[in-house]
Amino acid sequence: MIQVESLAKEFHDMKRGSVFALDHVSFEVQPGEVFGLLGPNGAGKTTCLRILSTVLKPTHGHARIAGFDVVRQPQEVRSHIGFMSNNTGIYDRMTGWEMVEYYGRLYNIPEKVLQPRLEEIFETLKMKDVRDVLGSKMSTGMKQKVSIARTIIHDPPVLIFDEPTSGLDVLVARAVLETVESLKSKGKCIIFSTHIMSEVEKLCDRIAIIHRGRILAMGTVEELVRIHGQADIEDVFFKLIRDLEDSLA
Amino acid sequence: MRWKNIFLIFQREVRDQLRDRRTLFMVAVLPLLLYPAMGIGMVQMTVTFAEQMRRVIVVGADQLPEPSFIVDGQLTPRFFDRPEQSGNIRVLTDLKEGLQAEPNEQVRAELTEFMKQVDSRRDRILRLAEVQSTLDRLPPESDLAQPMRDEEKTLRVEIEQWFSKAPAQVLIVFPRDFLVKYNELTESLEKMNKDELKKAVVPRPIVLHNSANEKSEIAYQRVRVVLKNWESSLLDQRLEAAGLPKSLQRPVPMTPVDLAEPEQIAANVWSKIFPALLVIMSVTGAFYPAIDLGAGEKERGTMETLLISPATRTEIVYGKFFTVMLFSLTTALLNLCSMGFTGQHMFSAIGATRANPIGDISFPPLTSLMWVVLLAIPLAALFSALSLSLAMFARSSKEGQYYLTPLLIVTMGLTMFCLNPAVELTPYYSILPVTGPALLLKALLLGTSTHSLAFYAIPVLVTSCVYSALALWWATELFQREDILFREAEHISPRLWLKHLLRDKEPTPSFAEAAFCFVLIAMLQFLFLTSMQGSPELLDTPVKMVTVQLIYLVATVGLPAVIMALLLTSHARRTLKLVWPRFSMLATGVILAFSLQPLVLEMMAWLDPYFPPLPPGAKHLMDAMGTEQVPLWLTFSAFAIAPAICEELAFRGFILSGLQHSGRRWLPIVLSALLFGVIHMIPKQQFNAALLGVVIGLLAARSGSLLPGVLFHLIFNGNQVLAMRLKPESLESGIWPWLVHTKGTGADFEMSFTSGTLIVCGVVSAVLLIWLICQDRRTHHFPDRGTGDERRKDLLGSHDDKTPEV
Repeated sequence: MIQVESLAKEFHDMKRGSVFALDHVSFEVQPGEVFGLLGPNGAGKTTCLRILSTVLKPTHGHARIAGFDVVRQPQEVRSHIGFMSNNTGIYDRMTGWEMVEYYGRLYNIPEKVLQPRLEEIFETLKMKDVRDVLGSKMSTGMKQKVSIARTIIHDPPVLIFDEPTSGLDVLVARAVLETVESLKSKGKCIIFSTHIMSEVEKLCDRIAIIHRGRILAMGTVEELVRIHGQADIEDVFFKLIRDLEDSLA
Repeated sequence: MRWKNIFLIFQREVRDQLRDRRTLFMVAVLPLLLYPAMGIGMVQMTVTFAEQMRRVIVVGADQLPEPSFIVDGQLTPRFFDRPEQSGNIRVLTDLKEGLQAEPNEQVRAELTEFMKQVDSRRDRILRLAEVQSTLDRLPPESDLAQPMRDEEKTLRVEIEQWFSKAPAQVLIVFPRDFLVKYNELTESLEKMNKDELKKAVVPRPIVLHNSANEKSEIAYQRVRVVLKNWESSLLDQRLEAAGLPKSLQRPVPMTPVDLAEPEQIAANVWSKIFPALLVIMSVTGAFYPAIDLGAGEKERGTMETLLISPATRTEIVYGKFFTVMLFSLTTALLNLCSMGFTGQHMFSAIGATRANPIGDISFPPLTSLMWVVLLAIPLAALFSALSLSLAMFARSSKEGQYYLTPLLIVTMGLTMFCLNPAVELTPYYSILPVTGPALLLKALLLGTSTHSLAFYAIPVLVTSCVYSALALWWATELFQREDILFREAEHISPRLWLKHLLRDKEPTPSFAEAAFCFVLIAMLQFLFLTSMQGSPELLDTPVKMVTVQLIYLVATVGLPAVIMALLLTSHARRTLKLVWPRFSMLATGVILAFSLQPLVLEMMAWLDPYFPPLPPGAKHLMDAMGTEQVPLWLTFSAFAIAPAICEELAFRGFILSGLQHSGRRWLPIVLSALLFGVIHMIPKQQFNAALLGVVIGLLAARSGSLLPGVLFHLIFNGNQVLAMRLKPESLESGIWPWLVHTKGTGADFEMSFTSGTLIVCGVVSAVLLIWLICQDRRTHHFPDRGTGDERRKDLLGSHDDKTPEV
């Protein structure tokens, strides 16, 4: 479903010259799988996911989503993914219903299909209360629900979550995680980036630990713990990062 | 591009803006309230406005011949041009009850004191008057003038100091024997005794005032009018007494006849207000929605959400553009309506109460109003696209306001320029942005004959649409760029930036470096030309002029390009396109130079009347190019070899390579040609150069080499140099008669190409140009960034599984 091959993003920075925000990463994600990108802030997770969602263009390498190339067929890619992050804002002067409906129309969903789909999503996500509330009046939890509804309105086969729980209270965060799980059970192909270990352990089938734009290790939680001889994934994470920093020093 | 998506985005943005109280306030509420409120305010102010009382003191009031210009402590109303003005001036005299006109006790005391002072200073004042009038008659360099000037200054300072404390603004002093002398003259006039008349001298009354003091000046202007009319009525009396007709006073009685109809006077008012308001309100109307839709959306984080929707970036920009344009148009037209109705209502309200020169303010005719709407559309489009581009560039709403302010200021400047009554629509102004529509609208509202305007309507509309399209294209371009969509705060330090410039060189220059090269050349040219103006001895012979031209080209065009290529790029040879081209390209360059020349010469001769005449400096240079006094090799170097090498190195070398960095096919060619045109300074040459710039740019881009362009340029210019030295006789033999017609001899000699020549040249040029265009192997794209992999490998040593690809 998602094939990433030697993907890199090079920036030119005045101070440091050429910098790789993403440094030749390769991985694949299958349908029904949750792939976790685990890394500290600034590791390159967001850059990677932005390239997959076609918002940024890679400087090297290729990525295909649902069979479409992110560089050459960006529109097809965008209509086959649902993308959600803590950056994807909600319009202040639009109600929850209008917002999701607007995106449904942009995804070119026929009106006859769209209206029942909206009803269904608002029902399953228990969003009756945000239906006619303007974005500016919503609580963080309400906003996050609208974001989820917006992400899944066109029933995409691939879902990309970029730190969806950061800045949320426990209750809302849990609801988000539950949604991700239910999407997985529907056979969706999911990438989930985070820096919270417990979310990874609970949710992800496979993970990649990413730092300084590079994938340091990839596999299931059990594999990584076994190979690197650590007690849990948190220790693996810190060991890998420490090793890289030592080798660069 | 799907219009459905554009419409969806447009619809959403419009709804969003309509829900925004700020926008609604700016677009609708403000114009609907502002003008009526301002109107009411103005009426209030005119009602409560009263001119301040000014005082005029008349000393020697007993010396006035009848009918006096003073009546009841006022200037006599009938001596005013507008009698109602008499109420604002109080006249105080040295007669017995002369100060009774002043109601204020304290001021009266001051006045009494002042009157006493006048007597003691009377001689000084008279002396000053005498000195001033003598000085006026003396030639300035006269020996007598200096001591008088000194005396005048001492007197003036002294009297000014004293008069500045006076409780009056104007002082009129009548000499003590004025009436006696006046009457003597009148009597001798009656007797018609010519000898006496010649000898009679009437002493002059003095009017003391200070023209630097506004209050004094206003009072003086009134007094002057009154005295003049009074004088004229005295003259009437004398004429009557002498038994002469009163009409003697006006040997040439003129009656002005005003042809303006009330509607035209109104049109004059509208033609000033409407264009200015339309332009300013289109900018203002675009300003706030653009910031909200561009920078605001970035700030709130909804931009990313929109970017990952299936709508393409072009669709998003168009949707936003149409929204901004709608608001810009609505603001402009609502403002015009509100202003129009308020204005009309107000003027008619004021007009009803008093006679005023504005007359009947009726609306302009419907056709003019249709033009207002029609011209508002491209204006709104231009401002919307520009504001949107700038707003997109900004990171936050606050930053957006900073970026948009210059746009507002430039627009204001252009509007002020158009308001000037002397500025009229000319071919040149009609193709400029903003001024074209504004001046056309001004002319339309003034009711200028529609015939001449029809001539301008098309260029104005077409160029306005082109400017709008360019601005929209720019907005779309900006929206495609990641560094603009995801701009982050950058640490700005000139030292770092310089280091970065010299360290992170790329094989060819960047777009910005190319632009900088152009600015540098333009600035050097300006410096060179201004310094040349300061030393005319360098240009006094043709040889010197040609030599200076040669140095000028090398120093200001060739050298900067080469130095920049060496300093700022890692591959100067590739930047300056110093590679050997295919033979076919060289041949094409040579043949095109010959085949295009007759066509260009004919076209320029045909277009000549549309261009302003050559400035004298350029004419001298042209003469220097043709004269036999300069050796041919020097002329050839300065006008053919140096331009061919220097201008090509700069415009097809550094600048074109930099512009090609954009990866576009036509933009670099067209833009470099435009810049090449702009640098030529004289309109006719600018046009010519820009046109040929496209051809040379095409040669350079398609061949990847500078050489075909250099050859083209060399032959083209060389031919012109040789043609200047051609003897008319030599054209009469050989194959020449087949190629050209000749007419006249000597200075009147004219040459034109035969239609056969033109047709052959046209066909050959067209074929070659089409062939060139088809040679599109997409501007050579070197794997510039590929070096990143190598650099990385050097940094980290060999790294695991990833295969670097180039």
